Amino acid sequence: MRHRVAVLAVIALLLATGASMANPGGEGDADRDFTCGGSCHGDPALSSPSDGTISIFVDPLAFSGTATAVHVTASGMSLSGNRLLGVFLLGSANGNDDHPEDHGWGILQDPNGGTRNYVEVVVPPSGSVTLTWVMLAPEQPGIQTLLAEIHHGSTPNSNNWAYSSLTRGYVVDVQPVPENLPGFAFDWSPETRVTGDASPTEIRTRNTTSVSVQWMLEGEWVPHDAEVTGEGDQWHAMLPATIGETRIQYQVTTSNGDFSIVQPWLTVATEPAAFDGEIWGARMQSLAFGLLVMAFLLSLQARLSPWEGRPEIDHTDEVESVEAPPEPPGLEPDQDYWSRLVPSDENPGWLWDPVEEEWVADPDNPPEGDE
Amino acid sequence: MFGPATFHAAMAEVVVGSMMLASLCAIGCATATFLPGIAGGWLSSERVMVTMDKASIAGALLGLAVMPIAALSGSFAADNVVNSALLYNKFVYTGLAFGFWASFVVGRVRLGPGIWQHKSLSALQGATAAMAMLMTTMASSIGGKLVRGESLFDIMPVWLPSDSATVLSPILSAALLVVGIAALVVVIRLGPKAERISLD
Repeated sequence: MRHRVAVLAVIALLLATGASMANPGGEGDADRDFTCGGSCHGDPALSSPSDGTISIFVDPLAFSGTATAVHVTASGMSLSGNRLLGVFLLGSANGNDDHPEDHGWGILQDPNGGTRNYVEVVVPPSGSVTLTWVMLAPEQPGIQTLLAEIHHGSTPNSNNWAYSSLTRGYVVDVQPVPENLPGFAFDWSPETRVTGDASPTEIRTRNTTSVSVQWMLEGEWVPHDAEVTGEGDQWHAMLPATIGETRIQYQVTTSNGDFSIVQPWLTVATEPAAFDGEIWGARMQSLAFGLLVMAFLLSLQARLSPWEGRPEIDHTDEVESVEAPPEPPGLEPDQDYWSRLVPSDENPGWLWDPVEEEWVADPDNPPEGDE
Repeated sequence: MFGPATFHAAMAEVVVGSMMLASLCAIGCATATFLPGIAGGWLSSERVMVTMDKASIAGALLGLAVMPIAALSGSFAADNVVNSALLYNKFVYTGLAFGFWASFVVGRVRLGPGIWQHKSLSALQGATAAMAMLMTTMASSIGGKLVRGESLFDIMPVWLPSDSATVLSPILSAALLVVGIAALVVVIRLGPKAERISLD
């Protein structure tokens, strides 16, 4: 019976290890090809089509080298417990060279504030999420295709499948840019600020003589005007510092008298302040804590353990009960003293000392009232 | 060839596996000391006690021997850069785990198998093993958090602080290190001598 229980316990433990497939905690934002170039989600034996719907909204006409927003909406997925969703923006679905940059696009900003084509998000309880990539259209005019793909898990997921879904290709006609069209500089991308940093945000442009910037907190409806200074295609916008989970969005309008172009909304990418620990500090602190714990526990062990001199080792009580210890030198009882004392019937419990002429309490018969 | 991250994962598995065996056996010994009648006296039988005692010391010794290799390979896997509180805490918990396990091993070696016959010492050894295992699993779970974004502790009711770290200045850490070494020397050289406990 005992062996059966042990075998069943081992089998249960082995089965428990198979309950987690792929990377349920996600792999982080990254530059990736279609299905990560052949992942659990791409393996037909391990994957299954997602029950969610996914769509792309993008302006079908874009001018080469200008900023354009690509909105990807995913909804209706049966998600895993952590509600994590991985979303790809792709230029093709070949399994290699699928990154939009392989097709001439530039990513100005991804939905998480970086410049990746694969991002991970936690889907809100509504079950729908819209992510926006701000892209720079390819320099070469022509017909371009954009696709989006989602990866996610599911609960329950008895088959341990990885779920995925791919959109059809959305066509964008990239036209030659009109001469003197104001826009962002080709090599400019939004900078990342540290939490709490309120320093001006730099914006570099081309063909631009004036810039205006509006900003708002994510979820707000009414934007605020930001103070902008600068000239010669280099500008500084005063945006408030981001603190905690707050996200600030801002929209740049580039003008030059002939044109005024409202650029897509961007997000102030914020990263936590750099961690100020360093490796040797961590090592020393770690070792110091370890040694202090060790010193404390070893002293406790020594305190609790029996050692020489302890009554339970040298049996002090037993020895004391067998024979009384000798009196220290000089304190031996004086036999003459006790023999000269005279008992008295009139004063029971007291002895008369004829030499000192005083009453002394009888140790063998203490006076009444004495202990 | 394989990278330091793979080697670190293998070493960490050796540490956690052997430490888990050690802590379970140590807690078993401590339980048998206090509840000799548990499981019909089977747990406190001489054969089981001797087995658990030997397994616990063997597991702890193996884990303790591999722990520095795991720590070093983990350090290399992180490119010797501590860039987050999570990673910093991994170092701290590793150090604490080392302290607890080393105390467990030293206590068992100095006092002998008779340590389980003394209730107070048995309780101390059991508690030391439990704390050591907690620190070890914390350090390894942080590794899971860093690599996979999740760990078993996500569903556990116990999760010690790890998202924020108390970073001491290197000078203070060095001073603490000196204090730790001095405390250890005082305890071992000047403190009461713990002697091997003879078995009944």
